[in-house]
Amino acid sequence: MNVQFKKGVLELCVLVLLDKQDRYGYELVQKISDRIEISEGTVYPLLRRLTKEEYFTTYLKESTEGPSRKYYTLTAKGRDYLHQLVQEWRTFSEAVNLLIKEGVASE
Amino acid sequence: MNKKQFLQRLEQSLKKLPAEERRDILADYEEHFAIGMSEGQTEENIVEALGNPGQIGKETLASYHLEKVGTTVTTGNIMRAVWAVIGLGFFNLVVVLGPFIGLSSIVVAGWAVGVAFIASPLLVLADVAISPTTFHWFQCFAAIALCGLGFFISIGMLFTTKAFTKGFIRYLNYNASLVKGGMKREV
Repeated sequence: MNVQFKKGVLELCVLVLLDKQDRYGYELVQKISDRIEISEGTVYPLLRRLTKEEYFTTYLKESTEGPSRKYYTLTAKGRDYLHQLVQEWRTFSEAVNLLIKEGVASE
Repeated sequence: MNKKQFLQRLEQSLKKLPAEERRDILADYEEHFAIGMSEGQTEENIVEALGNPGQIGKETLASYHLEKVGTTVTTGNIMRAVWAVIGLGFFNLVVVLGPFIGLSSIVVAGWAVGVAFIASPLLVLADVAISPTTFHWFQCFAAIALCGLGFFISIGMLFTTKAFTKGFIRYLNYNASLVKGGMKREV
């Protein structure tokens, strides 16, 4: 899939995953890469950028196994942004689906 | 490639960043390795899934530079941002440079008054040193009062300067989006 396109979608995926609960980086990466083929390393720059844009805050939490983990929490600003992106995604994907349907039907 | 080589290459590609930022980024990947390995993955598997460290470095650098003006406020940064926005059009020369010169003169003038007031007792001392016969209590008290007032003005200016800086950056952002014809979001 096109790299730029995937990047935009990745942002949406990360925001969606944090909507219900806080998660740590590794968990986010696994959840996404289970479904979509990505270079896992590119999720971290994205997380940093979204944190700097104040869509997330982070905190460290001790873990029973291994080192402490950096958790990400969605801020109110992040939630607004999420809703906006979801809206855009729905409009966009519906339009593409329609085009595909029309395209397939006419063949 | 193993964990050590991956982290070394990533660090290499991030060497333009401040040490603290770089350490922070590397810590994210070290955490990733630690959790992955505690779940039974091998270093090689994790490295392969992460992708090319050079590419990761490039993406990190790009997003870092984009955010710089928004997060750290230094004179150099602001000037660069001012010039960047002016570069958007000649129209802006008036709209941006005008208020900038006007407001910064006010800030400079405020500071000058504050500092001069604080320094006023020194003038009395100088006066006494040059011509000891002309010492007046009135001058002495007036200078002390002005000195106190000067401190208040300086403290006030500290807040004014901060507010001015913040407000102006916001204005620049607004201006940039205006000139570009609104922020267009890519899908």
